[in-house]
Amino acid sequence: MNQMVSAKVLEYRGKTLNFTPEDPAEAKIPAEELHEHLQKPSTARTKRLKDRCRWKHASAGEFIEKSVTAGIERMRYLTEAHKASVGQPEPIRRALGLANVLNKSTLVLQQDEFIVGYHAEDPNMFPLYPELSHMAVQDYLMSDYSPQPASEAAEINEYWKPHSLQSKCQPYFDMKDLGRMYQVSSMEAPSFASGYNSIVPPYETVLEDGLLARIKLAEKNIAEAQKVMTTFPWNGTTGLDNIAKIDNWKAMVIACKAVISWARRQARLCKIVAENFETDPKRQAELLEIADICQRIPAEPSKGLKDAMQAKFFTFLICHAIERYASGYAQKEDTLLWPYYKASVIDKTFQPMDHMGAVELVEMERLKISEHGAGKSRAYREIFPGSNDLFILTVGGTKADGSDACNDMTDAILEAAKRIRTAEPSIVFRYSKVNRPQTLRWVFNCVRDGLGYPSIKHDDIGTAQMKEFSKFSLNHNGATDEEAHNWVNVLCMSPGIHGRRKTQKTRSEGGGSIFPAKLLEITLNDGYDWSYADMQLGPKTGELSTLKSFDDVWEAFRKQYQYAINLCISTKDVSRYFEQRFLQMPFVSAIDDGCMELGMDANALSEQPNGWHNPITTIVAANSLVAIKKLVFDEKKYTLEQLNQALMANWEGFEEMRLEFKRAPKWGNDDSYADPIITKFYEDIIGGEMRKITNYSGGPVLPTGQAVGLYMEVGSRTGPTPDGRFGGEAADDGGISPYMGTDKKGPTAVLRSVSKVQKNQKANLLNQRLSVPIMRSQHGFDIWHSYMDTWFDLKIDHVQFNVVSTDELKAAQREPEKHQDLIVRVSGYSARFVDIPTYGQNTIIARQEQDFSASDLEFLNVDI
Amino acid sequence: MEAKNVQNQPHIEVGTNKPCRTCKWQTPDPTDPHRGQCTANRHAMGGVWKRWLRDVENLTCSKHEEGKLSFRDHV
Ligand code: SF4
Repeated sequence: MNQMVSAKVLEYRGKTLNFTPEDPAEAKIPAEELHEHLQKPSTARTKRLKDRCRWKHASAGEFIEKSVTAGIERMRYLTEAHKASVGQPEPIRRALGLANVLNKSTLVLQQDEFIVGYHAEDPNMFPLYPELSHMAVQDYLMSDYSPQPASEAAEINEYWKPHSLQSKCQPYFDMKDLGRMYQVSSMEAPSFASGYNSIVPPYETVLEDGLLARIKLAEKNIAEAQKVMTTFPWNGTTGLDNIAKIDNWKAMVIACKAVISWARRQARLCKIVAENFETDPKRQAELLEIADICQRIPAEPSKGLKDAMQAKFFTFLICHAIERYASGYAQKEDTLLWPYYKASVIDKTFQPMDHMGAVELVEMERLKISEHGAGKSRAYREIFPGSNDLFILTVGGTKADGSDACNDMTDAILEAAKRIRTAEPSIVFRYSKVNRPQTLRWVFNCVRDGLGYPSIKHDDIGTAQMKEFSKFSLNHNGATDEEAHNWVNVLCMSPGIHGRRKTQKTRSEGGGSIFPAKLLEITLNDGYDWSYADMQLGPKTGELSTLKSFDDVWEAFRKQYQYAINLCISTKDVSRYFEQRFLQMPFVSAIDDGCMELGMDANALSEQPNGWHNPITTIVAANSLVAIKKLVFDEKKYTLEQLNQALMANWEGFEEMRLEFKRAPKWGNDDSYADPIITKFYEDIIGGEMRKITNYSGGPVLPTGQAVGLYMEVGSRTGPTPDGRFGGEAADDGGISPYMGTDKKGPTAVLRSVSKVQKNQKANLLNQRLSVPIMRSQHGFDIWHSYMDTWFDLKIDHVQFNVVSTDELKAAQREPEKHQDLIVRVSGYSARFVDIPTYGQNTIIARQEQDFSASDLEFLNVDI
Repeated sequence: MEAKNVQNQPHIEVGTNKPCRTCKWQTPDPTDPHRGQCTANRHAMGGVWKRWLRDVENLTCSKHEEGKLSFRDHV
């Protein structure tokens, strides 16, 4: 059995560095089980909550935990209200639908929990959304997770067919094009076909104002609009606008009232249980305290940390799971909770507690999110293997004046994450050189414990990007220079504004993917997909015999890419057209200051453009182009026809040739041949073509290179490629990460390569795997800190780390039951390693584990 | 390489009693549940090279095996 620490020593600047563990007790822990020794829940309660957590992880389209199924209540009550409200204005129908669900659905209260609320009738269930995509619901009906009674669910789905977003949008496209998208091999399916969505809820208004104040505002606006409509002289060119506004405000009032009464139902439930069933006096008192909180919150402003946490959770449930499905957990949590932390922990003016009380509260929040179930379509149950959904919050960064935004709440969030060890929610840390050392130490502690988060984003790049997008604001009310500092990751990678207004409300603004690896494959076949679907998958861009030069190949790829990206963005904008007409979000609108002021639905109002789309598998395509240029056009060792013959045979009988293509220069080695070609590929095609498109919000669309689990799914749908890859092998695991195992020149060569791509990008994911002994040694923090400062100076957008040994990963493959706490970074999210299919596990093992040489430390200017 | 033989490739047999839908190598299409993906083609290096199945009720092949694979054996 290997001990954790190798006997490795390094000579550096005249010193001998020993990489022994910083904590000497760790030396006795076998390397194969290190991660099973790292959790340290702060209280017995959070340990119990973790032990009984009802995870809802999905992999390969299936739920891993037994007894997880879809519930029927949401779809039942939504449908009931839809039928009963025929003839009423659409926003009001949507509000009545929400109210019916909230008024009638079964409440769930679980043992030990302090943060309450659930979005389905049973904690093993999750709701479905037939108003979005009837195909996605049909898939559930045909699966082991069908809602019961199945006949009622089928009837409901049938009812929604003509009314669903899918049915509204499809007629505006050629089914041939949509069929290509539905396969998710060259393009992701449009949101109207999958029902997938994401949002940044304006939590701030709920915590700061409370919903009663929002109702008052809406009622005041209605009264004023009605006054305008009856004032002489009537002006029909503007007066009629008030009709839609009044409908929206009325819908907001209905939605807010419904949410308040739902929270108060939870209060009553807690009180009933406390007074009639609970025998433990301590828990009785706690239930009465929860009852008091839910009676006041979110109706009134939050006054302490417990209030704020509960108000935030209710708001999350409505915005992400009940009013409409939306993935994500976007919020600037440390900034949002800081006033309440201050009141409870520092000033002790309301809900007094100590710092560890705040840590326990965050641990409980993490466990609530860990058991949240998402009624996602099969595509999304495939592409985040090992997770329940993409739950990602943001901390750190800078304030409006450029000063450090870290505070003691930041530390509480990070400490809780380290102690409780759950894969969700993931954390993004906005790295700036002004961040305080004590918080950086907590970031590092999480990273070196192998959580895979915080994933790190460059603070200045995100802020500059918000300023840039603001220039395109259609109502000239984009983020101000100060507000540009208020950004969070919307999902895995893309920044977007957080706060009381101007946040992203629908994925039709940003999200969705395009797959360059498959596009390159079909470029070499005149747009035909011979390896997966056996059909024409893109436009005809030229038979091989017509591709006489590298430029011809390059330009043929460009045409394939233009076709695909145009379709991706136009389907998103058509979704948005119908979202604002039939899928209004009265609650989200009520808590957004812009929607409240203007009487607009949240899907319709766009103040801050934030267009993005995710290229995934870019490096397989880019490395392939490099190999083609070198071996076919520069050295003329093979013809394109010979290459094609080898690819069609999956390299069988062409092993020597495959090795030559595999040995061609690869991304991530600071290579003077590969890097200029690949940089141009990113800047000229991937970003350059995408940014020519203007989306609904009036701004350009920029690439957010990442991977989720699509690097595996698309890999399995992509035939052999000229980078030496076999058909069906995984693609590259990050937006700009080197292909697994091909970055042979050390961690600083990776940084130098990646830093070359700067133009026309919104974000790019960089995965790095660092040596466990080095990171856990007394020098770990200094090396990591220097690495981060160098990364920052090189203006790289993002980086995230796996710090886990191959021994431990392989041990977990052999005996999964003994490795339940082993967490890995897959791509933009973390997952329990044992919940990932073997195919995906092998991609993580294959990533290059980066050691640091003396010259790396010199480049990083590590001061030890 | 295996010889090209229509029986061991997915092919239409209307009303077959061995449809891809019941085959352990099949997993549904990510978007449209009436279509599917065949995962039988597995490479020695660990790759799972999928094939799209246009019609899971009427496509079949000689590799058909009843059952369901664990998530761990899929992608
Ligand atoms: S092995 Fe044959 S029967 Fe089974 S899913 Fe694949 S094509 Fe269909």
